[in-house]
Amino acid sequence: MESEAATHKKIMIAKPSIAFNDFAGTAKDVTARNVNGRNILSVRAYQSKVVTPAQATSRNQLSKISREYKQLSDSQMHAWEVLASHMKAASSIGSAAEMTGHNAFVRLNSNRVMAGETILRDAPSYHGTIPNVVYDEAVVTPEFIAINGIKHAPSPYKLVVKMSGNQSVGISNGWSKTVIVSPGMEDDWGQADVTTLYFKTIGVEPVPGQKVFVESYWMDTNTGFAGQVLQDVVIVTGESPSGQRVRATMDDLDPTEESHVSSLDVDFSTGVPVAEFNAMCLGHSNVASSEVYLDRPLPADVIGTGICLGRGNGADGKIIPQSYLVYIYNLSDGAKMTFAHRGGYYVKPTECFGSGIIY
Amino acid sequence: MFNSTGNNFGAGQITFKDYQASNYVVLNSKFTFDPTNADYQACDQLEIYVPDLTIDRSAVGGVFIRFVEDYHYSWGDSVYDGGTVLKSWIKDKNTIVIEKQPWFDENGPLIIYIVTLYPQLNQGSDTIKSTMQRLTMTTEGNYLRFGYETFMVEFEHWVFIHLMFSGVTYAYREALWEVTMEELPADITADVPICGGGNQMHPNCDGMAEAHIENKVLTSQRRVMGFFDTAHDPFVYAFLVRDNNDNTSE
Repeated sequence: MESEAATHKKIMIAKPSIAFNDFAGTAKDVTARNVNGRNILSVRAYQSKVVTPAQATSRNQLSKISREYKQLSDSQMHAWEVLASHMKAASSIGSAAEMTGHNAFVRLNSNRVMAGETILRDAPSYHGTIPNVVYDEAVVTPEFIAINGIKHAPSPYKLVVKMSGNQSVGISNGWSKTVIVSPGMEDDWGQADVTTLYFKTIGVEPVPGQKVFVESYWMDTNTGFAGQVLQDVVIVTGESPSGQRVRATMDDLDPTEESHVSSLDVDFSTGVPVAEFNAMCLGHSNVASSEVYLDRPLPADVIGTGICLGRGNGADGKIIPQSYLVYIYNLSDGAKMTFAHRGGYYVKPTECFGSGIIY
Repeated sequence: MFNSTGNNFGAGQITFKDYQASNYVVLNSKFTFDPTNADYQACDQLEIYVPDLTIDRSAVGGVFIRFVEDYHYSWGDSVYDGGTVLKSWIKDKNTIVIEKQPWFDENGPLIIYIVTLYPQLNQGSDTIKSTMQRLTMTTEGNYLRFGYETFMVEFEHWVFIHLMFSGVTYAYREALWEVTMEELPADITADVPICGGGNQMHPNCDGMAEAHIENKVLTSQRRVMGFFDTAHDPFVYAFLVRDNNDNTSE
């Protein structure tokens, strides 16, 4: 995928009279300005005529956020200026450059918007306590891409993940190739499964033996502040690692069979004598049970009979508590789970939930 | 055992019997609160504050909520106790959360039964399969009968029981029931809710009774009139901490 930067047409014109005489102004495509004794030259960037939908969205968001700043009251602008005085813009020439209130407003709000939050008009209080990302491993295979063993950071922190496409193993610095795959997600019990997001963003399947660059950081979605970036390099492997989480969700339903649930998340990854059941059982015909067909077999060690609680959840307002046996077995090319009513008065739909043993 | 350090819904101090492993917790408790109090009405979810637990968050488990209701008729009294199951989870090392639902706000005071195992997810290995053992439920003259799915799973520090009541000899329908659970370890003492039984005053939730378990004997006196109504299948679902625990972690 061609990056946005690569599509820009760059023209560099050296104008010594501008650059070295403490001069501020524009000559053709070069703009010179002096900030705190530093001469800064910027080259006008030309957007390519071809933009991806993601690029167009990003540019529109930045424009919208930038325009929003002009709508702020004087006191709000002043607060952003104060905040900006505590923040330093990244610089590639040694010392950090100053940041304006407008810069701070756009930077923090672009983070928030990226994470699905609204634009913050009042400047947040400045603090530097964003947790660092800590995890066990990043796993990249052609079918499964995830970060495992993440040390959980509670709300309002969300994890931002940037990844590159396939890179040669000979490349040691591919950080400029990374793009945001996950604009802000909560880890799911220590795991950030970005498989779908990766394919949607990168669009190319990871190739075993190739290198993928991974950057991640926590973002405070209340303020837009981001934490330290953790950089990692992963060699794509051919197979998913063993010990992958065993779970049955709506994504695993066999589309060729009729399942009688409107939601499903049965999680066998507890490592203790219970599974975690979540299913909205709709029932079927005149049988007090709901069947679920999965498109793949389950590991032998979770085949058996489970039990869980249920609570009526219908439009009739019945909230009757019930117990359900859950028969779990493999078929020739998939698996089946039957939520069979046992205790309490049967009603449908019933939400089955909670921890339950398997025997 | 440990005591709560506070709560946000106006209950008093809450005592827990516990077994705490490195990656799951079993808690037993029974307490009462008044849903008309200001703290309860102001809270979004019920939070119980506790000393450090071994786990800092959990998946959802089920706890039970029950109200007590009597009707006095010219011919006698009737019981219409009811309740349901609520979602509960550990939010952090010091906070147990119970979902807040308005269903019984007019029926207070309300009783909460925590007979719950709180697991964690993505622990690097699959659910450990248990050995189920059917329970022999003995009463004098076999006046009380139980369904096939009456069983327990026994572990060193806790047991899980699932009881299904199926019938009673007519003469004993209002008597004090005393049932010996032959295979149950003797070191379990708990009050457990019995869910189910027809409740004509509250058909939205059905009946809910209470039983006491001690020294392998389950006793029950107060039950809804429709306890054995057809298809209302009273049952018990409980993770119970054994009294052999003098520690709080593995």
